[in-house]
Amino acid sequence: MLNQMMAILQKELRDGIRDRRSLMSALLFPLLGPILCAVLLNTVANSSARSKPLELSVVGAENAPSLVAFLFTNGVEIQAPPPDPETAVRDGKLDVVLIIPEDYGERFRSGQSARVELVVDNSRSSARHNISRSKKMLQAWSSQLATLRLLARGVSPELLQPVKIDEVDLSTPQKLAASLLDMITMFVILAAFFCNMYLAIDATAGERERRSLEPLLINPVDRDVIVLGKWGATVIFGAAGVMMTLVFTTITMGFVPLEDIGVRISLGPPVIGAILLVTMPLTFLAGAMQLLVASFARSFKEAQTYISLILFLPMLPGIALTMSPVKTEDWMMMVPMLSQQLLVSDMMRGDPTGVLRHALAIISTMVISGFFLWWTARLFRKETIVFGR
Amino acid sequence: MIIATGLQKRFGDVVAVEDVTFTAEDGKITGLLGPNGAGKTSAMRMLYGLVAPDNGTAIIDGHDVRKDPQSVRRVIGVLPDAPGIYPRLTARENIRYFGRLHGMSGPRLEGRINDLIDLLDMGAVADRRTAGFSQGERMKVAIARAIVHDPRNVMLDEPTNGLDVMSTRAMRHLINRLREEGRCVLFSSHVMQEVSALCDRIVVIAAGRVVAQGTPDELRAQAGTDSLEDAFVSIVGAEGLV
Repeated sequence: MLNQMMAILQKELRDGIRDRRSLMSALLFPLLGPILCAVLLNTVANSSARSKPLELSVVGAENAPSLVAFLFTNGVEIQAPPPDPETAVRDGKLDVVLIIPEDYGERFRSGQSARVELVVDNSRSSARHNISRSKKMLQAWSSQLATLRLLARGVSPELLQPVKIDEVDLSTPQKLAASLLDMITMFVILAAFFCNMYLAIDATAGERERRSLEPLLINPVDRDVIVLGKWGATVIFGAAGVMMTLVFTTITMGFVPLEDIGVRISLGPPVIGAILLVTMPLTFLAGAMQLLVASFARSFKEAQTYISLILFLPMLPGIALTMSPVKTEDWMMMVPMLSQQLLVSDMMRGDPTGVLRHALAIISTMVISGFFLWWTARLFRKETIVFGR
Repeated sequence: MIIATGLQKRFGDVVAVEDVTFTAEDGKITGLLGPNGAGKTSAMRMLYGLVAPDNGTAIIDGHDVRKDPQSVRRVIGVLPDAPGIYPRLTARENIRYFGRLHGMSGPRLEGRINDLIDLLDMGAVADRRTAGFSQGERMKVAIARAIVHDPRNVMLDEPTNGLDVMSTRAMRHLINRLREEGRCVLFSSHVMQEVSALCDRIVVIAAGRVVAQGTPDELRAQAGTDSLEDAFVSIVGAEGLV
């Protein structure tokens, strides 16, 4: 019986590896997720790189030493001016150039409004961030001077500011990056379902469609053994997909400047091992579920339609958690896919997870896989399996 | 030896097989002859245990298909109505797969596969994937894997369907050879000439019932005609041919 099961398993694996469609989905998907996440994380890292010190080219710095000193103490890196400021800004070489005219000191001393020029190109959206930072910096200087002048004359500076605005910015890059971690996890979980999809369809609905199911069933093999052999092949494909996704994630994360975003991802060998342990039962579930659904379908196409619909299930927890994070509770470990999503995310963050939660997640997923397998075997014992429903 | 008694099968309201009783002996070729839709395939499916009869049963080499279908499957080799093979496996791999499912392995299995490849004259294509095979080559693979375990009883459902002249001849040679080896061969066909050329005994089925059986001579005598074709028409009746 074991020999028969191995014969079926090996045949399905060989068939799957030779099927370009099966092989491509099994090989490409584990690449796709990590690359997508790395690109997104890099974008986040770049945008947070904008909070690097503001670099400002100043023409006529010698005309206003106090202003330049103010800018310098506020972390602005003063740079030597370009020969032609307007051309430099127009060509996009510089975002902002500050021009301090020669009469600045004279007007300043006499209490008039001292003029400075800010050369900008507002049509360039990438420059806007630095433009507004430069403006804010100059306004801060201006209001500081005003405050001092009013104080010198014995007037409360608050008279000048009836309304004071405090901005509370919540869009920290860390938060964004943390939700991207949930996305990586989602791709790992999805790999368990996606990489064996075609194999599961081919082994059931495909076998019926090419009319090789009837000859197969005439052999003296228990139907349970047939189902187990086919299931074993889907589990191996799914597990290979999960492993490849993890390996590629580890590789691509090496190219992301995670420290710039302030995110830490634990992806050492012990964590990878723990993640594999948690996601293995998920490959059991994915194989059993897809075999069952594909056995119901009459044709390859029909099975494909059903399975692409149920592929939303493993994505749901990931999407939901990206939108609104929840605190992990013990009961959530009873829900396959949700439990793995939470556990894997927590492990990558380096948060403690606990043995009980792991055990609950593994056992509940295996029980449900067993149920699906039993149901598939029941379908295979029916006469109608050859004809479809 | 195949002994079918009172086989009956309904699918919903449709009666596929009403009453099929016959015996197919070892070392003989028994032909199930009948027009399309007469119930030949359904009767065969009950014999090899793919569908369970509503009534009646069949005993093959002492094993009852209803009580012990697994034992029956061990002593039969079947070429079903639509024998799909695996296009991404080579001919040899297709045959080996079924051999392993019958519990064969090692040199015994490989030797048997080589014998079958020689017997069916398919050495040139044996290690090619079957995706591009002709109908005749595919049929050879299907028949080879059906008899890889050396079964005493061989059932062939319309084995020459869609084959060209050369492949049909090769199939006839094989069927004759299986008889010479002392096996019980049961094959179904709706082609008169084929049945008359090959069969020791003919079982005529129409509308799910056995309407006549015997040697070709007996059938001619029974119908009082000189040619087997006329006998067939007279036995089945005009409505049976519709």
